[in-house]
Amino acid sequence: MNRPAPSRRGFLGLAAGGLLLGGRALAGPSFTTGAGGPRLAAIDWAMLETAVAIGHMPVAACELIRFRADAVTPGIPGDVVDLGLRGSPNFELLQLVRPDLILTSPYYTALEPRMRAIAPVMSLPFYVPGEPPLPNALSALTGLAEAVGDRAAGIAARDRAGAALDAAAARLRAHDGRPVCIINIGDARHFRAFGEDSLFGSVATRIGLRNAWRQPTQFAFLAPVPMETLADFPDATLVIVSDVPVAARAALSRSVLWRALPAVAAGRVHVLPDVSAYGGVLAGLRFAELISAALTTPANGLPPR
Amino acid sequence: MTARVLLPAAALLAAALWLAAALRLLPPGGWPALPFRPEEMGLSQIMFAFGLMPRGVVALVAGAVLGLAGALIQAVLRNPVADPTTLGISSGAQLALVMATILAPDLLAGGRRPVAFAGAGAAAALVMAVGARRGFAPVTVVIAGMLVGMTASAVATAFTLAQGEYLLSLVIWNGGSLVQQDWSGVRALALVLAGGAVGAALLARPLRVLSLGAAGAAGLGLNVALVRLAAMALAVAMAAAVSAELGLIGFVGLAAPALARTLGARRMEDVLWLAPLIGALILSLCDGLVLAVAGAGGEMFPAGALTGLIGGPLLIWLLPRLRGSTPPGTEAAEGRAPRLARPGRALAVMAVVVALAALVLVWIGRVPGGWAVLDGQSLRDFLPMRLPRLVAAAAAGALLAIAGAVLQRLTANPLASPEVLGVSGGAALGYAAAVFALAAPGTAATLAGAAVGGAGALALVALFAARRDMPPERVLLAGIAVSSLAAAVLSALMASGDARAWAVLAWLSGSSARVTPQGAASLAVLALGAWGSALAARRWLALLPLEAGVSQGLGLRLAPARLALILLAGLGTGAATVLVGPLSFVGLMAPHMARRMGLARPGDHVTGAALAGAGLMLAADFGARMAGFPYELPLGLFATLLGAPWLLFLLMRTTR
Repeated sequence: MNRPAPSRRGFLGLAAGGLLLGGRALAGPSFTTGAGGPRLAAIDWAMLETAVAIGHMPVAACELIRFRADAVTPGIPGDVVDLGLRGSPNFELLQLVRPDLILTSPYYTALEPRMRAIAPVMSLPFYVPGEPPLPNALSALTGLAEAVGDRAAGIAARDRAGAALDAAAARLRAHDGRPVCIINIGDARHFRAFGEDSLFGSVATRIGLRNAWRQPTQFAFLAPVPMETLADFPDATLVIVSDVPVAARAALSRSVLWRALPAVAAGRVHVLPDVSAYGGVLAGLRFAELISAALTTPANGLPPR
Repeated sequence: MTARVLLPAAALLAAALWLAAALRLLPPGGWPALPFRPEEMGLSQIMFAFGLMPRGVVALVAGAVLGLAGALIQAVLRNPVADPTTLGISSGAQLALVMATILAPDLLAGGRRPVAFAGAGAAAALVMAVGARRGFAPVTVVIAGMLVGMTASAVATAFTLAQGEYLLSLVIWNGGSLVQQDWSGVRALALVLAGGAVGAALLARPLRVLSLGAAGAAGLGLNVALVRLAAMALAVAMAAAVSAELGLIGFVGLAAPALARTLGARRMEDVLWLAPLIGALILSLCDGLVLAVAGAGGEMFPAGALTGLIGGPLLIWLLPRLRGSTPPGTEAAEGRAPRLARPGRALAVMAVVVALAALVLVWIGRVPGGWAVLDGQSLRDFLPMRLPRLVAAAAAGALLAIAGAVLQRLTANPLASPEVLGVSGGAALGYAAAVFALAAPGTAATLAGAAVGGAGALALVALFAARRDMPPERVLLAGIAVSSLAAAVLSALMASGDARAWAVLAWLSGSSARVTPQGAASLAVLALGAWGSALAARRWLALLPLEAGVSQGLGLRLAPARLALILLAGLGTGAATVLVGPLSFVGLMAPHMARRMGLARPGDHVTGAALAGAGLMLAADFGARMAGFPYELPLGLFATLLGAPWLLFLLMRTTR
């Protein structure tokens, strides 16, 4: 009863690789980072980026398929173990990778007791209602660096981030000074606005842009807003983050209201590639670079007629 | 007579609400003149002429289309609770659109309507195929329709969940927003309405003949099948057009003909012209309220979410008016089930199989790169994680199965199951309330919320059932009404796009991953308790499927017995739901499996159902964990995928 039946290979024809699951066998080469630091496992995407930013690539992280598509950078090496959905990580796999520290955020509070049974947990707040997330993301760098015993890396990463943001701000001095309205198209009738308590909003403010969307937002994004609301910002330049859905693209090009919006009529529409809206400092830097590049070149417009 | 007062009053109110929004946008002097030329207009004039005006008109047109579709469906089926929502037509369209968005987005480049129509048509055909085998008995058709709808929604939800925020457009669509930005939606739906009106005018006479009954109509020389097919196709096309253009706008098609009849429309022609009128007013009023709330600085709230809220109460209000619901002989699905001579042996074999399966599942699992069997050390590490979820899954399956067996015996209805009792829906509402009301909801708070919600739904259904002397099918329909109310509220929450909505959605699809050892243990104790109670009540369970007169003659006091059993089923379902989410269809399948195996006596039946339920849920949990490894699929989805084919088989099978 205590031992697996001797015939276990018999009923497990599929046990091809037959990984031995003994404790020591797991510290094998496929799970090590080579960095020498503690083995990190990231549940939260912002924490994943923070770890990457300080040069400690986690051994495992959640929803890597989606992350690679949404966040684009940083690239995650193929040997990082995918832990499954963020809201429902695979705890057995988490146990298997034997992390020294599990990185999460208050969004996953409900899962923390389960995580703590496996390894110590570090939970840092990024998205707090009413607070700009960028300062949180920056202080997470030093916070995490101290926790992994690599203080210098945290300070260096923070300085690098500051310099990159300053560079983006410097580049934007050539910008016309119009406020920006940072949105994400849901369908042809609705969009999502990124306010000051979103990563995009707080990065935009940091690099010297004026965010036209002054209203409070909930967590990282506001409820879908009717398109006509954009008429409230006649001076603003529209910055659309992420691709526009196919069906919406066709419908927008026909829409009288869309074409009449001051920003659209005047050709002040910029479309940025995908950036993770729930990211950490690296997503913030990617956004800063993309938006500063976009705003200092002619608008790429939307949709094609 | 009341119609002469009420309808103009409603129209005035709707117009006033729209005017208030219009005046907020633009003073009357600035209103644009006809014809509209966008190039000569200011922005607020464009918003007026291409935003607010088409929005007001589209509410009227879409409401009329839905009202007419509902009236047609009700006439064809001679069923006052049928409409595009209750027949699963809207959910079929939703599922088709979700699948197309994910799997083949290019299909949508040609517009949403063909895709929506295909989905709506498939759902309608399925429900009609089921209905045809049961003589289109109103309650059966609606139960089948709502189950098909629930299945479609469950699959659509699981897909939405798997895609994360990418499906923002689907979340909006699910909510059914009336926001417009040009006249294309109005034009499209106006054409649909015109076509529908012509079709309805042509069909009015044949439908009136049909209202005599299929046999009588055929005797008068009517091609009954052709008339039914034409009217259904027309109604489905109209409902699908609204779904594609605006999204899920539920229950307008149910409310409009019902109100038309209440206001005194008796003849087919009267209902057919009054229902679209009332539908237009209902949707206009709803959207007027949405506009008023939005103008007062509130968050955007789609009109479809508002109309969804009227569905549940409306169904409950309509239920007592439902007469002659079931033609005799059409509900006896089971035929003659086999009866085992030695049920004890079969039960022992089942118990051993379930125990063995659990043992095997503790030991094997997937790892990156293959499958593996645990050795001693790993087993010690993994047991605290695997054992609770296996125990919880098995116990939840057993609880649902016991609840299902009790309900099926109680109502003598083979389609009874805890999923349709409304307990799951109530628990989901309670869970959502906890997630939204508290800043950082812990496990205890959400559990408490779900328990209170489940108990509330149960109390509501039981109260309704007690007041109406509990005709069994109506208890089921009352439960379905509660479920649909819960679904409407949840879809409104989803449409608000709040991050917390995703937490609710994740829980809704069910997962045994978060179960703690204590939770699993208490669930197991509950399952044993429910089993014991059901065994103690086996005399009731034996007598209740007989007719009320017979069981009373045998000395059974009906009301207390029914109430006690409903409580037992409700609590069992609530407990299972609280811990592992509203799982689907195990409570329906397991009792049938036990019955088909020949476990005929109540005690054996309940025990066999519990074992079958435990086994099914273990299988679902295993599939959910392994199929997408390391991504754990929603347990509810997996249980649904196991259960849905079974359900359809059960519904399609000819009686005896």
